[in-house]
Amino acid sequence: MSGRIGVFVCYCGGNISDYVDVEKVKDAVANDEGVAYAKTNMFTCSDSAQTEMINAIKEKNLDGIVIASCSPKLHLKTFQNMAQRAGLNPYQYTQVNIREQCSWAHTHNKEAATAKAIDLVRAGIAKTRNSVPLTPLRVNTVNQALIVGGGISGLRCALALSDMGIFAHVIEKESKIGGNLKDIGVVFPDNKNGSELIEELEKEIKKRNNINIYTNAKLIKKQGSVGNFECDIMSGDEKLTLNVGSIILTTGFKPYTPKPNEFGYGHPNVITLVDFKKLLANNVKKGELVFNGQKIREIAYIYCVGSRENNKENGNKYCSRYCCSAVNYASLLAFDIDKNLKQYHIYRDIRTYGKYEEYYEENLRRGALYFKYDEETPPDISLKGERIKIIVKDRLLAKEDILIPCDLLVLVNGMVANENSELNDILKTPIGKDKFYNEIHPKLRPVETVIDGIFIAGASQGPKNISESVASSMAAASKTASLLIKGYVDIEPTVAHVIEEKCTGCKLCENSCPYEAISFVNRNDKVIASINPAICKGCGGCVPDCPEDALEVLGYTHAQINSMINSMLLEAK
Amino acid sequence: MIKVNSGLIDKIKISEDFNASACFNCGTCSALCPVGFDILPRKLFRYVLLGEEEKILESTDQIFSCLLCRMCEEQCPHDVNITENIRLIRNYLAKSKLGV
Repeated sequence: MSGRIGVFVCYCGGNISDYVDVEKVKDAVANDEGVAYAKTNMFTCSDSAQTEMINAIKEKNLDGIVIASCSPKLHLKTFQNMAQRAGLNPYQYTQVNIREQCSWAHTHNKEAATAKAIDLVRAGIAKTRNSVPLTPLRVNTVNQALIVGGGISGLRCALALSDMGIFAHVIEKESKIGGNLKDIGVVFPDNKNGSELIEELEKEIKKRNNINIYTNAKLIKKQGSVGNFECDIMSGDEKLTLNVGSIILTTGFKPYTPKPNEFGYGHPNVITLVDFKKLLANNVKKGELVFNGQKIREIAYIYCVGSRENNKENGNKYCSRYCCSAVNYASLLAFDIDKNLKQYHIYRDIRTYGKYEEYYEENLRRGALYFKYDEETPPDISLKGERIKIIVKDRLLAKEDILIPCDLLVLVNGMVANENSELNDILKTPIGKDKFYNEIHPKLRPVETVIDGIFIAGASQGPKNISESVASSMAAASKTASLLIKGYVDIEPTVAHVIEEKCTGCKLCENSCPYEAISFVNRNDKVIASINPAICKGCGGCVPDCPEDALEVLGYTHAQINSMINSMLLEAK
Repeated sequence: MIKVNSGLIDKIKISEDFNASACFNCGTCSALCPVGFDILPRKLFRYVLLGEEEKILESTDQIFSCLLCRMCEEQCPHDVNITENIRLIRNYLAKSKLGV
């Protein structure tokens, strides 16, 4: 409970004061119950204003503060840190938004905006009056990590963790590690064989004594929470339990399989890019490319098969990103085998981004022809007769129809997410609308999931080329290290809590929790709900489901919320 | 409809200097041409690459009216040897079509 509250109302330059009478707001609340000090600032977030507030907190012996300024999205952490520097508990600080939710919203009526600002500040004061100091929960962490998926991302991640002294367990569902990369042949940009890359990693891993690899393995059960998960693994017929601090998902992708008759798929001379790569790997005889016993002279490629299907119901809307570079690279490999090949690229956009643009230019120089098609007018494939015939509207010749005969048609197929429903049921990992794993924020927190301690990396998160996959797995490794090396994690204390004497153990709350943080325990011969604070996100979903009001979120207790409502109602009279 | 004839390009491309396929259709060449071709170089090259002999024959006069001034070539962002390409197309037309 705070009894000596400081209230600071911000002008925000003119952002607030142009539409709200800031001085009037300050005067209106200065004598409210519990308010010991009230002041206005031109810019509350400025260093000088923060120093002044710290001095005021110390001199006036304040035990709670309210700052009426911008959205807490912007400066909640700024002011919580300021409170902490002044020796105040940061959870006895309340930010009242009188900018986005008041001055900016009511630019037409200063009087009403001022009245509303007073109400909002009063509610903030009431909440602070009922606040109690909270301390972050400290959870000890286990210095081990579980990596699900033994492709290049998973293996490289394991090595990175091993370097930092973290024991890495890698589980791979297949009998051999290496994922998609092990059988894709030569890969760009360094012209190495995918299987060689995997062998290099395997050799390095064998030298380490802090990496364990389990093949034919899957996760069957997960308990615990960030820093201390207990995972049951089935490796072959053997069941074992691993105690890990974090879980990294590098479950990869699978190549899109065209539907029967999609651009002629099913015809023996219509193959996917993945098959074409295998063909190139197995036909290294200089001067000729042989497929099904026939010498290939003309190859056509159709891009964006299974990608960017905006017009198709249930189509994959996303761009698979890697395929343009991959097919242009494959086309150069084919030229290396037989420089007299005729190659026709039928594309929608060439997205050979970054340095891979060179592959595109090199193909142009070597004589490959490019035809751009619209999503509305896809190329028409005729499989009658001996050769495959493709009709495409050439945009460079004002959409004139061009007939391209070829011996081999390569469908440039993108990536689709692996089917991991069993795993996802266990981990509750969120999946995006394209069925890949979802990160918290694509720019600011790109490898973290909403579940603390579970990270995602590689193509499990969305189409990526090899170097991008490894880059993201390195990111996941460093996020894991920053979590585990310290030995503990601090968790936000604003989580749900059970008022034990009110709980009747009716279990109605159980299904309202999306994170499975609620379990039931026996306490004084009574079954009651119990919240695991390390799993709870403080979303408050359980609170309205409880018929006994036995659940509340710390920092937003019933007493606080009710007092806020009451203080607003008082003003309305 | 144009049927791609991949054989033609091999006949024209008697020299490694022929690099019409590097053209990426930006149009810079046409903007600077003092003669003002009716058929744009990029379009001509496209027909050559597709093996559309008829369209090339239709443009014979144009092809021979080029001054080979190299104004276009100087400005080409993709280093296409435009005048050399024109010379090689002339060479092909003279030998196999015009009976010179």
